[in-house]
Order: sequence, then C-alpha cells, then structure tokens
Amino acid sequence: MGTREDEYDYLFKVVLIGDSGVGKSSLLSRFTRNEFNLESKSTIGVEFATRSIEVDGKTIKAQIWDTAGQERYRAITSAYYRGAVGALLVYDIAKHLSYENVERWLRELRDHADQNILIMLVGNKSDLRHLRSIPTEEAKAFAERNGLSFIETSALDSTNVEPAFQNILTEIYRIVSQKQMREPPEGDVIRADAEPADVRPQADSVRKQCCQ
Amino acid sequence: MSGSSYQQFQASVNDAWDLGDDDIISGIAETKISRAISETAALNVINSHRNSTKNVNKSDVKVESENLKPKEEALAVRKNEIKRTGGGVGSSSGLIRHYPGRPRPVRLSALASREESSESKLERFQQLLENPVLDLDELKQLSWSGIPTKARAVTWRLLAGYLPANTERRAETLERKRADYKHLVKQYYDSEREEDTYRQIHIDIPRMSPLVALFQQNTVQVMFERILYIWAIRHPASGYVQGINDLVTPFFMVFLQEAAPGKELDNFPLDKLSEEQRNIIEADSFWCLSKFLDSIQDNYIFAQLGIQYKVNQLKELIRRIDLPLHEHLQTHGVDYLQFSFRWMNNLLTREIPLPCTIRLWDTYLAESDGFAIFQLYVCAAFLLHWREKLMLEKDFQGLMILLQNVPTQNWTDSNISVLVAEAYRLKFAFADAPNHLHNAGKSDR
Repeated sequence: MGTREDEYDYLFKVVLIGDSGVGKSSLLSRFTRNEFNLESKSTIGVEFATRSIEVDGKTIKAQIWDTAGQERYRAITSAYYRGAVGALLVYDIAKHLSYENVERWLRELRDHADQNILIMLVGNKSDLRHLRSIPTEEAKAFAERNGLSFIETSALDSTNVEPAFQNILTEIYRIVSQKQMREPPEGDVIRADAEPADVRPQADSVRKQCCQ
Repeated sequence: MSGSSYQQFQASVNDAWDLGDDDIISGIAETKISRAISETAALNVINSHRNSTKNVNKSDVKVESENLKPKEEALAVRKNEIKRTGGGVGSSSGLIRHYPGRPRPVRLSALASREESSESKLERFQQLLENPVLDLDELKQLSWSGIPTKARAVTWRLLAGYLPANTERRAETLERKRADYKHLVKQYYDSEREEDTYRQIHIDIPRMSPLVALFQQNTVQVMFERILYIWAIRHPASGYVQGINDLVTPFFMVFLQEAAPGKELDNFPLDKLSEEQRNIIEADSFWCLSKFLDSIQDNYIFAQLGIQYKVNQLKELIRRIDLPLHEHLQTHGVDYLQFSFRWMNNLLTREIPLPCTIRLWDTYLAESDGFAIFQLYVCAAFLLHWREKLMLEKDFQGLMILLQNVPTQNWTDSNISVLVAEAYRLKFAFADAPNHLHNAGKSDR
C-alpha cells in the first residue's frame, strides 16, 4: 500500500488560496491527476494532494493544500499556512470581486504564513475570453507592485497549469539550493513539516516574472 | 464549557417556534437524564437493535457493562467487519479511487432496492404510526436500526420533532408550517437578499452533485437555494457554511421519494410533480433541516468551535481506544483536524454514498438525546474501521490520501448498521467514563 513517490530530494509545502469558486480545486486536480470536472464540489476545510517534479535532476515533491474559499473557513484554513513555502493566490479573470479580494488574501498570508513565503498570483479561467473582466496587464502590474509572480491559467483547457506549479516550485528550489550552497544543512532532505525551507530572496533577481 | 451561555446563545438565534409544536424536542432538551436512566435506555436500544437486525453480526453489539475490554473487543469487531466486507470492496473496485472534489456516483436508484428487514419491520412501523397515541420512544427504538423506505418520510418528520406525536394535531400543524414557510420565502427570498450569503449559496448549489441529472434541474437548484438562504438568514450566528448544503440532500431525497414512490430518482423531472407536491418537499425539508441542525449549531458558529472541540475529543478518544493507531497518525504528522473536520462538518455525507447517509440519519434522528455526541463516536468507529489499512501506510501522504478518500463506494446499509452499533458500543464504554482506562491501569498494578 506504500506510495510510489517515496523518494524525493526536496519536499515543499504549497497552499492554494483565493475566493470560493475561482477554481483552486480544479487547478489542483489538473496538476496532480490531469483531470478536470466542470463542477467540482466545494472544498470543506482543507484537502490534500501531492505530485513530484524534476528540476536539475532533483526530485521535488510538492505537498499541496487546497483550502476552502468561504471567508467563514479562514479560522480553520489559516492554520495550514504555517510551514508553507509557496502560495498560489487564485482569482477568476471573469469575476471582478475575486480579484478585488486578492488584497485581503495577501493580508491573510501576511498575518498567518511564514514571512518568506513565495506568492504567485494566478488568474484562472483564462478560457473565458468573452467574459474577462480583469485585463492581464492590470493584474501583472499589481503583482509587480506587490512582489508576486504572476500567471494566467485555465484548468479547463490546461493552459499554463503545469508552468504555474513548475515555476513556483523551481523558484523555491533555486532559493533553497542557493542557500544550501552557502550554508550546508545537516541533512540533505528538507522536510517542510518539520523545518520550513527558508525561501527568503537572496538576490534582487530572484523574484522575476514567471511567464508572460 | 459554558453550557448555559451556549443555550442562551442558541435560544437567541433559534427559529421561533410555537410552543405547542415543540413539546417533543424541548422536553428532551431540558431534562437532564440521569446516568442510570440513560444506561437503561441505552440497553433497551441495543436490545431492540439486536432484535430488529438479527442478521447483523452479533459481536457488533456485544455490550458487557462489567469487565469491558474496549481495545480487544474493538479489534475483534473490526476483524469481523473486514472479513465481512473485505471481499466485495477489495476485489471488485479496489482500483477506483475517489479524490476530493471529484464527483462520486450517487446511485440513488439503490435507495429503494435494499430493504434490510423488509415486510415485517414495515408492519411494525405501520402499527406504531397508526396508533392514535404515538409512542415516540418506541418509534425511536425501532428506527435506530433503520427505517423501511415506505415509512421513512413520516417517521423522519416525527423524529425530527416537526410532526407532532399527537395524531389529531398533525394535519393542522403540517398545514400551518407549510404556510409559514411560504411566508418566509416571501419575506426573505423574494425580497432584497443579503448579497454575500446568497452569492455563496448560489456558487455551491450547482456543484453539489454535478453528475446527477436530478440536481442539475433549475427547479431543484432553486428549491435548495431557498431552503439554505432562509435557514442562513434566520440563523445569523452561524449563517451559511459550505457543507450545510449537503445536509439538505437527504431530507430532499426522502420527501421526494415519498412524492414519487418507486420512481427512478437519479433523473426524475421535478416538473412532473404538482406545484403543491414540490412545495411540500421544500417546506418539509426546510423545517426538518432546521430541527436537525439545532443540536449541532455550534459546529457552524465562528471558527467552527463545536467542530474543533469535537475533533479534540475524537483525538483523545482514539488515543484511549487504540494507542498504536493514534501514535501511528501522530508519528507521521497527521493531525486529526486535517481529516475529521470534513467528517464532522458534513456529517460524513462526503465520505459515504447517499443511500448510506440516509440510513445513517435514521439512527441520528432516532438518537434520543440528539446526535451531536453520538456523531463523535460514529466518527471514531469510522476511523477505527480503516485502522488496518491505515497501519499499512508508511508516510504522511499515504495516510492523508487514504483518509480523505476512504473506499466506501460499495458500502450498503449493512455497513452502516455495523458502524452505528460499533459507535454505540464505544459511546457506552467511554462517554460516561472519562478515566476508564486510567483506572483500569491503576487497578492492574
């Protein structure tokens, strides 16, 4: 009954946050199982999934926590931000309110997550071209101002889902491995649940655009 | 705990009820039943359970008040269960995994097909229900082990405290409550709505059971919307919390089944029913849901304190019942909140097929002191049911994936009968004996 992905070099905990119905669970199921359901049930509390990717010949295992979007759940979900080294902050490009609420979600992260968490702003449902209410440039500029990476995705047609996760995990990996070169750790495995990997940017160049 | 202040709080947010309607429920809520009486009652329930479900494994309900050895007994029961269920579950669909968010097959058609103890039980229900002076306790005892489909709708109304025990008052009460609901719709739903609450409900309803045609009908979705919105507005201390929507479904199905007996429900066109029939389904679902949620409203208040409290109780309970399992979970960093939050928030509706939920609610509704505490023991029994599989998982990931996707897709009513019997046994052994194991340990020395 053991798991197939027992072996890994790095383990990074990542959280998915954002308003209800923006497609957090759909992004997760697209990334971890390459599945999409037009309607998936609302997430209750938090749900967990995992997938491993390769970067520079190293296996990086992502432990992804999908959280309920309803505001009422924040007391429960914010407990899961601890130890997370990355966050995908998702909004729906066709729902302006979900974009307006991004600032509130950033505040949530500031209050409850580790200081050095890497945050990627994700505009999901990019397939809904005719319903778009947030111009790409606007969100991109917002992300730049706030030191976030930015990407637009569609869990429905798969656009950019893989790059979104790949980019944030790679970025985390770069920071961690750079840090390791300067300060060799005791073990060679980073356990996100034991000791969160320190992903403080070491150089100005670290927080680049993930993609255009 | 501040029981009294919570009661005050609850009183302040509860729906207003005409006093006369509530004789059944309030009588129970306000009486502090002594331990001796409750134990006697408990034994009665167990006995009647034993009598009414002879086909259920005997060891499931073996209760010996002296000399209880919970651990060994729990293990014994589990072994039996595994033998009983292992073949079917493992062999036919062991590879089908269910993931969070992935729609599950609902198999509503199975609702009518499995009748545990058939005709004779139905007759006993009919006799009871036709009696001008209904013996509610007897009805509870009989219902605890499952209600025949044909008697379910009426029995649920009675057990929920919606329908008065007194037969003379029933028709008039129903008429009045249904008219009241119509007014509530006008007052709250047909006028200006509270934006945030409505939006959240409106987002959640269409994605409840995406693969079942029944729930994709606009008529059905609007019924759910009205029920939930009105409930939420009238319970401001909790409001709508995601997951409560799932708790409407069993009531809706049971009352729909009553209106369309013997029909295939998976894709039943609601518009085939008369408007009056639809109104009855909706109003009765609303009132029964309201009654049902009364005893667990602290689950849905700010920070879901009721659930957090119960999750801690579950943790403590498992530590006492099955230390190796508890330590296994702890060692691998699995926190009880991570998996049991949903179990409690949605009352296991996300973990088991809908027909099983309905069967489980027969028991919940029949629990004489409300099911809030009992549900904790059901969660404990549910966790222990998977202990062998869990012990085989070697890491956090494996444990979490299993715990969030337990393979219940082939579960039937008999699995639920075993589950509630085990829960009952645990409650009997542990609920009133907080230091049971500690004391046992000391006396051994």
